[in-house]
Amino acid sequence: MEQPFPPTAGAPAAPGADGVPHDEVLARVGQMTRMLHDNLRGLGFDKLLAKAAHDIPDARDRLDYVAKMTEQAAQRVLNATETATPQQERIESGASHIASRWQAMLAMSCTGSQCRALAEQTIAYLETTRADAGATRQQLFDIMMAQDFQDLTGQVIRRVTELAHGIEQQLVQLLVDYAPPEIRRDSTPGLLNGPQINPNGNADVVSNQGQVDDLLESLGF
Amino acid sequence: MAGPNTKFLVVDDFSTMRRIVRNLLKELGYTNVDEAEDGAMALSKRRSEQFDFVISDWNMPVMDGLTMLQQIRADAALSKMPVLMVTAEAKKENIIAAAQAGANGYVVKPFTAATLDEKLSKIFEKLEKVGA
Repeated sequence: MEQPFPPTAGAPAAPGADGVPHDEVLARVGQMTRMLHDNLRGLGFDKLLAKAAHDIPDARDRLDYVAKMTEQAAQRVLNATETATPQQERIESGASHIASRWQAMLAMSCTGSQCRALAEQTIAYLETTRADAGATRQQLFDIMMAQDFQDLTGQVIRRVTELAHGIEQQLVQLLVDYAPPEIRRDSTPGLLNGPQINPNGNADVVSNQGQVDDLLESLGF
Repeated sequence: MAGPNTKFLVVDDFSTMRRIVRNLLKELGYTNVDEAEDGAMALSKRRSEQFDFVISDWNMPVMDGLTMLQQIRADAALSKMPVLMVTAEAKKENIIAAAQAGANGYVVKPFTAATLDEKLSKIFEKLEKVGA
């Protein structure tokens, strides 16, 4: 590899105008940098850097996956609460309405003891129904409000993703500046890769159960 | 001015939050609600539609909520429009900047239905006093 640093051995220690030996300082810094560089390479840190730079996009994709999945989950919850809330409202107001009609019936034309008992039982049931529907609606409201986590976690994930992107760019630049050209990515994928965060565009990955079944069938299973 | 016909514009880049605010407003009796994904979209919606009240996030792509607020206040036709900031930005300097830009209220996320209700009532009360 070519020398990124100027030769430092035997640099003259000429003092600057203010008496500080600039050349000596520069020479020392140069030596230290060269030593650090050689040591890093000797220890295989250049490979570690390359691995880190390679791993960051993967980490970013995983965070994007978390953001996407939590958003989908929050949307599903909101879909459900928005559907169920008016249903509960209907039950609540229907029970209230029919209860009052039974009450009127009880006061006017329901004279037999059997009729009275049934009317009272029905009114009591409708009262409970009305109260339960109202309470359920309140719970649905709380469930809806709890989905605000998605906005907050989403913002945090976005921040971390941007930060990772910045570090990645700096690492890549560091590698471009200092790594020997023969460096090659060590890619030996294993079997424990976890959920696939971006199955589309990767021919090695299935994106749905149909593809799993097709693959197994093509192999004779 | 507050009533079931009061028209709200909810500005937030997260659709989850827009839906939550829309549902909250519905619970408070305001059913006339439109949405925008960022400040620029909100301002362009305002060109074709009339709104009575804006509820806006701060941190959004394209145009953030503070810039939008400043543009609203700088526009003679819109300058009186009530704007309530609902944001995760919780630093004092943010709250001061929003107040200086002319925000009518400031709610920090996460917030409760009661908080939103209280801030809206306060803003409407003040506006009625000014209008009276």
